[in-house]
Amino acid sequence: MEHVLVADAVGKRFGKRWALKDCTVALPAGNVTALVGPNGAGMSTFLHLAVGLSRPDAGGMRVLGADPYENITVLADLGFVAQDTPVYRDFTADELVVMGGKLNRRWDAPLARTRLAQLGIPPRKQVGKLSGGQRAQVALALALAKRPRLLILDEPVASLDPLARQEFLQSLMGSVAESGTSVLLSSHILADLERSCDYVVVMQAGRAQLTGSIDDIVAGHRRLIGPRHLGEPIGGVTAIVRERHTDRQSTLLVRTSGAISDPLWTVQEPTLEDIILDHLAQRDERATYEDWGVAA
Amino acid sequence: MIWLTWRQHRRQLLASVAGLLALAAVLVPTGIAMHHAFDRLGLAQCLGAAATAGCPKKFDDFTNAYGTFVFLAVLLLVLPLLIGIFWGAPVVAREVEQGTHRMVWTQGITRRRWILTKVFLRGAAVTVFALLYGLGTAWWWEPMSRIDSDQSRFGAVFFDLQGIAPVGYTLFAVALGIAAGTAIPKVVPAMGVTLAGFIVVRVAVAMAARPRFMRPETNEWLVASGPGRRREAGPGSWIMSTTVHQADGRFVADGTLRCPLPADGGCQSDNDFGVRAGAYNLDTFQPADRYWTFQAIETAVFVLLAALLILWTVRRLRRVV
Repeated sequence: MEHVLVADAVGKRFGKRWALKDCTVALPAGNVTALVGPNGAGMSTFLHLAVGLSRPDAGGMRVLGADPYENITVLADLGFVAQDTPVYRDFTADELVVMGGKLNRRWDAPLARTRLAQLGIPPRKQVGKLSGGQRAQVALALALAKRPRLLILDEPVASLDPLARQEFLQSLMGSVAESGTSVLLSSHILADLERSCDYVVVMQAGRAQLTGSIDDIVAGHRRLIGPRHLGEPIGGVTAIVRERHTDRQSTLLVRTSGAISDPLWTVQEPTLEDIILDHLAQRDERATYEDWGVAA
Repeated sequence: MIWLTWRQHRRQLLASVAGLLALAAVLVPTGIAMHHAFDRLGLAQCLGAAATAGCPKKFDDFTNAYGTFVFLAVLLLVLPLLIGIFWGAPVVAREVEQGTHRMVWTQGITRRRWILTKVFLRGAAVTVFALLYGLGTAWWWEPMSRIDSDQSRFGAVFFDLQGIAPVGYTLFAVALGIAAGTAIPKVVPAMGVTLAGFIVVRVAVAMAARPRFMRPETNEWLVASGPGRRREAGPGSWIMSTTVHQADGRFVADGTLRCPLPADGGCQSDNDFGVRAGAYNLDTFQPADRYWTFQAIETAVFVLLAALLILWTVRRLRRVV
């Protein structure tokens, strides 16, 4: 299988803190991949390594078959929309399209102009005076005009209102479906992802916790509700992701290898959001009472 | 990239051109007036061998009319610094502050090419500005520098605002601004660092390095030579120090002392410092004909510093995310 991005035990350090550590990810071509995780999980750092803005301190990163760091060949096939969709605010949208033409060898200006015209974005108004949603669309149009093989977006919808968010994701999915571009986008917002993405990487504390196609992940997890569970093996369960107990009852999120036959357990099909949240919860680093200097 | 640089900074460029024109609007008329008065009063003759009794009065008239321009001249010193603050500090700092470096560095060019294009274009524009400024002020200040040896073009402060030295200062200021903005990617603190760093380096070079660019010449002449004797350093030279010594070389005082010594030793004035027969004045100076050599060395020092800062910036930029 062809991979657009392969991260092999990648690590990135800022001072003494490892923002990424032993992060291993392989993304098959042709997917829309969601990179999800809490704040500070290292998602932006990972994306910056992927677009060659920084260089890993450990491990290796290969994007479109090459090391992306300061690599013009990779950059030519890569579209990137950074966090908060930065563009020169005193430029007009039309000037930004001209700028892209000056800075890129392959540049589809008619594509960008057609997109921006369809979205009704004024060509001769400073983009700093546009709404957040419109500015995000301008940034996306610039990234698409490179006709990239891989499009990377760092929290493109974080600052948008729900309506603009939906429009943005719709227009993104529409255009990548036509061109067959692979997409990697990071997000805190889980709700929209199941509809728009087909592959997911769950990241926490600088590591990839869970990687796979959404269908496989949903099919491979079950929620079990049954009597207080004391650790005995359950038929068909390969791993317990998260367990919650009351005095008499246990609720488990498990990975399964087949059907759960044990009649003690009520089996439910969890949503993707539930699965992701339970994966994130299992290694939540919590401050203790001691950290706060108060009595428990 | 050239288009982008122009589009991003055209307003700044136009503002600087407007500033330069405003400056010219002050310097050109006053300069013409000064040159005119210099010719009208015939001061060139007064400076030469054909000095007449009316000359001191004419010098007074001229200094009374134009002496206050010295404050304007000192103000002109900060111009290279201002250019460095506004043309240098924001280059990287503003991009990082607004996050746009992540957009522009992921287009189809390397950040090395990005920074070098910006540096080169700015360097070229700034060099033109600084040359206009340096040669313009040299012309403007010329009459004053000829009649007052303390304000000659070689003297401290006046050396710094004319000729080609301002090119070095301005390039250095811009490079320092760019480097500061790379080290501290916030526009206002980077401007502050540029301000402080520029002043420190400029003062250090002017005070510690410049007097040592070439070994100064000395001129000894006896205190007893009597009043009215001219120093031999010559007009337009840079007098670095004037001191008075006893015949055995012992230091007596700063300044110069000229008086006829009576037979019993000591000056006949109230302030004789107890000088004995054979006491002499010692002038340490850089001769006037070294002016352009010193200008070239001073410019080279600052251009070299600017180049080092740019080299550092290009390397440091690789670590900016």
